[in-house]
Amino acid sequence: MIELRNVSLKYGDKEILKNISLTVRDNTIKAILGPSGVGKSTILKLMLGLIKPNSGQVIIDGTDITAMKEANLYSIRRKMGMVFQGNALFDSLTISQNLGFFLRENLKLPEDEIERRVTEQIQFAGLEGYEDQLPESLSGGMRRRVAIGRALIFKPHMILFDEPTAGLDPVSSKKILSLISSLRHKNNLGAVIVTHIIDDVFNVADCVAVLYQGEIIFDDVTEKLHLSQHPFIRSILSDNILEL
Amino acid sequence: MLLTFARKQEKAVALWLKDFILTMQEFFLFSVRAFKAFPKVKRYWRDVLDQATICGTDSVPIVLVSAISIGSLLAIEVGNLLEDFGAKTMLGRSTSLSVIRELGPLLMGLMLSARFGSRNGAELGAMQISEQIDALRAFGTDPVAKLVMPRLVAALIMFLPLTALSDFAGLHSAAYMAEHYHRLDPGIFWNAVYPRLAPKDFVVGFLKAPVFAIIITLVSSFNGFSARGGTAGVGRSTIKGIVVSSGLVLIANFYVSKIVLENM
Repeated sequence: MIELRNVSLKYGDKEILKNISLTVRDNTIKAILGPSGVGKSTILKLMLGLIKPNSGQVIIDGTDITAMKEANLYSIRRKMGMVFQGNALFDSLTISQNLGFFLRENLKLPEDEIERRVTEQIQFAGLEGYEDQLPESLSGGMRRRVAIGRALIFKPHMILFDEPTAGLDPVSSKKILSLISSLRHKNNLGAVIVTHIIDDVFNVADCVAVLYQGEIIFDDVTEKLHLSQHPFIRSILSDNILEL
Repeated sequence: MLLTFARKQEKAVALWLKDFILTMQEFFLFSVRAFKAFPKVKRYWRDVLDQATICGTDSVPIVLVSAISIGSLLAIEVGNLLEDFGAKTMLGRSTSLSVIRELGPLLMGLMLSARFGSRNGAELGAMQISEQIDALRAFGTDPVAKLVMPRLVAALIMFLPLTALSDFAGLHSAAYMAEHYHRLDPGIFWNAVYPRLAPKDFVVGFLKAPVFAIIITLVSSFNGFSARGGTAGVGRSTIKGIVVSSGLVLIANFYVSKIVLENM
């Protein structure tokens, strides 16, 4: 379970997050919805301990990581997989090497176990035949699937997705969303999805938090989003805006 | 109006100073992390070898070209000057001191600052911009241990033989010019070189290699890690890395010579 308690964050004089609290339970898909540049990706980085809040607490499975040293954070981070917006694949490594990279780096597994896990992820992502290709030779949707495979390779409890369908064509977006849905059903995983696309929220999320002007203005199950009376939410729903 | 301008300037200077102090603090912590990662050298030995090839073997041509160029020019110009005083036989001594103590290591440092430093800045900057460094951290790998420490170890190992190569090429090109341009017997040239060189001359020259290795690697890598703002940001951080490390190489060159020569 991931908890953010009364978290505030400033970049210089700009207040990004204002005293926000958020809980993501295991085996649920939670979306964080908000306009671009509002600090949604920052929330994911806070959850991983990549940045520290100015105040408040970040708690992962009951452990407060807010003041934890970088070296101690690595084992906590391996409980979560992260899919970055730009995929963050290593461009000089092949798809197989990208998938196996962190296993070789961080776990002392035998090589045949690493190979087995890499093959498993290649099959899961539907990338058979592309094992020896470099990321640049793949389409955007395929690269995103490799990034998801890499995030899954440690067998985490929770996956964090930063704009999983941004920049993808409708067919690729649909494939990625069904892949995310299948993660929970097949692998029993929880997920946090940061997005500015409302359709993604209704397609995959069990619950949603809406971030607006640095504050959480809605945090409940997705179905109740329609019942919200907040002017911002009313405006995006009544105007039928698909992307914020 | 003048008062408002003065206040604005004061505020700008205060902000710049605060920014400078914070950057220095970050650089210090970054350097400490790089040195503290040294025990992981066995784990990353392949990365060390890769970096040793990049900063060592691949840098041989540029080091040779600069050393031969400066050795030849030094022999011609100093030879002309000594000829006016009838002291051409001292050409070996004056060139060897200049090359071994100062110009060999300095030129090598500047060339490597441009070559190795720019590569570090651009590569790490691009990794920072594309979130690859964040990915390393997110999946439990220390990016400083993985990316910076191998570069630092490789530079510390390879800069010494490169300095020796630079000295060797500089001296031999000077000897060649002494023989063919100034018509000086090679025996006279070399007799003025070896018996007269003192241990402190080699200490001055070779002590600069690890100092330059540390400056160039840490400054360029730190700037790569600090890259922000897309491809233009990578360009800015790379340039900053080269300019700062080259400046620090020049300053360190002066102080290493001063401290060693005054104390030996």
